Amino acid sequence: MTAIRETGMAIEVLLVEDSPGDVRLTQEAFRDANPSIHLHVASDGIEAMAFLRHEGTHVHAPRPDIILLDLNLPKMDGREVLAHIKEDGALKLIPTVILTTSDAEADIVKCYQLHANCYLKKPVQLDAFESLVKSINDFWQTKVALPPPTRGG
Amino acid sequence: MHPQGKNTNSARSRARAAIRNLSISNATEKRLAKTESKLKFLEEALRESQEQYRMLLDGIEDHAIFMMDSAGRIISWNAGAERIKGYRADEIIGRNFSCFFPSQDIERGRPEEILQIAAASGRHEEQGMRVRKDGSHFLANVTFTALRDSTGNLRGFSEFSHDLSESKEAEARYRGLLEAAPDAMVVVNQSGEIVLLNVQAEKQFGYRRDELLGQKVTNLIPVGFAERLVADGLRSAEDALAQQIGTGIELVARRKDSSEFPIELMLSPLESAEGILVTAAIRDISVRQRAAANLLQKVEELKRSNEELEQFASIASHDLQEPLRMVASYTQLLSRRYKGKLDSDADEFIAFAVDGASRMQRLIQDLLAYSRVGTRGSDLLDISSEDALRHALLNLRGAIEESSALVTHDPLPTVSADETQLVQLFQNLVGNAIKYQGPGVPKVHIAVTRGSGKKWTFSVQDNGLGIEPQYFEKIFGMFQRLHKREAFAGTGIGLAICKKIVEQHGGRISVDSKLGHGSTFRFALAESEKKS
Repeated sequence: MTAIRETGMAIEVLLVEDSPGDVRLTQEAFRDANPSIHLHVASDGIEAMAFLRHEGTHVHAPRPDIILLDLNLPKMDGREVLAHIKEDGALKLIPTVILTTSDAEADIVKCYQLHANCYLKKPVQLDAFESLVKSINDFWQTKVALPPPTRGG
Repeated sequence: MHPQGKNTNSARSRARAAIRNLSISNATEKRLAKTESKLKFLEEALRESQEQYRMLLDGIEDHAIFMMDSAGRIISWNAGAERIKGYRADEIIGRNFSCFFPSQDIERGRPEEILQIAAASGRHEEQGMRVRKDGSHFLANVTFTALRDSTGNLRGFSEFSHDLSESKEAEARYRGLLEAAPDAMVVVNQSGEIVLLNVQAEKQFGYRRDELLGQKVTNLIPVGFAERLVADGLRSAEDALAQQIGTGIELVARRKDSSEFPIELMLSPLESAEGILVTAAIRDISVRQRAAANLLQKVEELKRSNEELEQFASIASHDLQEPLRMVASYTQLLSRRYKGKLDSDADEFIAFAVDGASRMQRLIQDLLAYSRVGTRGSDLLDISSEDALRHALLNLRGAIEESSALVTHDPLPTVSADETQLVQLFQNLVGNAIKYQGPGVPKVHIAVTRGSGKKWTFSVQDNGLGIEPQYFEKIFGMFQRLHKREAFAGTGIGLAICKKIVEQHGGRISVDSKLGHGSTFRFALAESEKKS
């Protein structure tokens, strides 16, 4: 019942990010923060939705425990991905964290209106970025109580 | 009138005496009585008519009308004569009319000469100088008429005179004024016909004067003039007076060659003998309009160019930040993971790359902040400047703790400001105060005094390094730095941002400092609209 995880249990994270440099940085940061994380990467919005809906090559994709979503993505941008996730009964309970370089107020407002679980600005400095990833891990993986996963529900 | 009255009376008594001397019949007496009553009636009618005549003459105030006997002695006097010449009837009746002439005219016998001419020709009209009772001279238009009885004997003269200074001089003055005016002036009557114009009007419209006199003003100003004319006719003189220069209306005028040009029109009503006239001052405003349009265009261009520049700065900074973040992050990662594992050259190279990238990042962030002060504009609200300072100090927490700085402040007022920008302003100023320090504990005090004109003057005083006077202006410029990078890191944008913020709030920022004795930065903000 409880979603607070035991340490050592594999955690599935979906990172929706088109910049390979950012993907690698995030991977490095998570590796330092929590080695038990399985980081899955979708490099655009279409792929992200296919992953979440187990479509095409993603038939066996796991249901992520948390989604890290960039806003500026090719094909389908992060705002659309967020809207699709939060309209989908099977997906809307997955904590979706916006992780972007934009600090435009319009983006922040829009994302919360679309029910993003939180909005985080990518720090410019490496140290700060690493510490943010650590915070994401600590907060969403160990501090937060979440409803049980409603797989396929 | 006395002479006629006397004549009538004597004729009557003569008739009565004659009747009495006759022995007459009853019937004759009856007829005589009838005749007498008829005579009485006529006498009454005559008296009444004389009275009406006198009233009529007295009612005329702008003309002097009087009669003289054949020698020029005055025997009647109307109200106009009294007003124009200054004598009351009882002062002048019986005196010779030559007293109205200047002395040189009297000396050369002009009064007698005039009477001779009038007697000979029946009527004489002239314009000449006359003298009032108070000795003042005036130009008069005078008409003399010889009065003769039915048998042709000269009984006297009438004089009919008019003070031309009241009309001619006034008109001459008016014309002079008209010609001296820098604008085209056109005087129009109520039916819209041009009755008077100046040389500027001839020039501006390309007509000769005689081509315009009597013509409709709509030839010059086709649209809008008539409507104004009506409006001005209906307006009171006070309203017209209240219409100041520069409040004229703008219309289009047409020259003789049909070309059109923009004008500003000012109208004022003018009461005259011919009814209400309207004086129109017409100013060619094509140059002014071109200049205004030109200015407006330049302002637009400047605004657009500024906007583009700010947009460019904002976009460039933002888009530069992304790739730079990669460079900075990976050089830092390199440095962290491989320091000491490669050779010392590699360590040094990586260190330079890390330093360059992080300086570039600061530069871009500061540029972005600078451009945002311009693009976001100022949302002026009543805010607590103390809260803004507190917020700034919170952002500076790290630097304050690290330097053990002592930051104190007066109670700070509510001001009309953009909160984000005020926080940034305090943050930059207090940040600098802590940063540019020698050894020892940095002390910073934020004070406020009531300035003039609903302003609060803030000061941020420190005990730091101080600044030499020749740099007081320069430090507020873009990229201006006074120290080597090794001594103090920085982009040289911080104070430029401060300046822009303060100016955005309609104020000025200045510094007062003595090298080695700290600096005081001052700026003013408008006080809150509401009383705090």
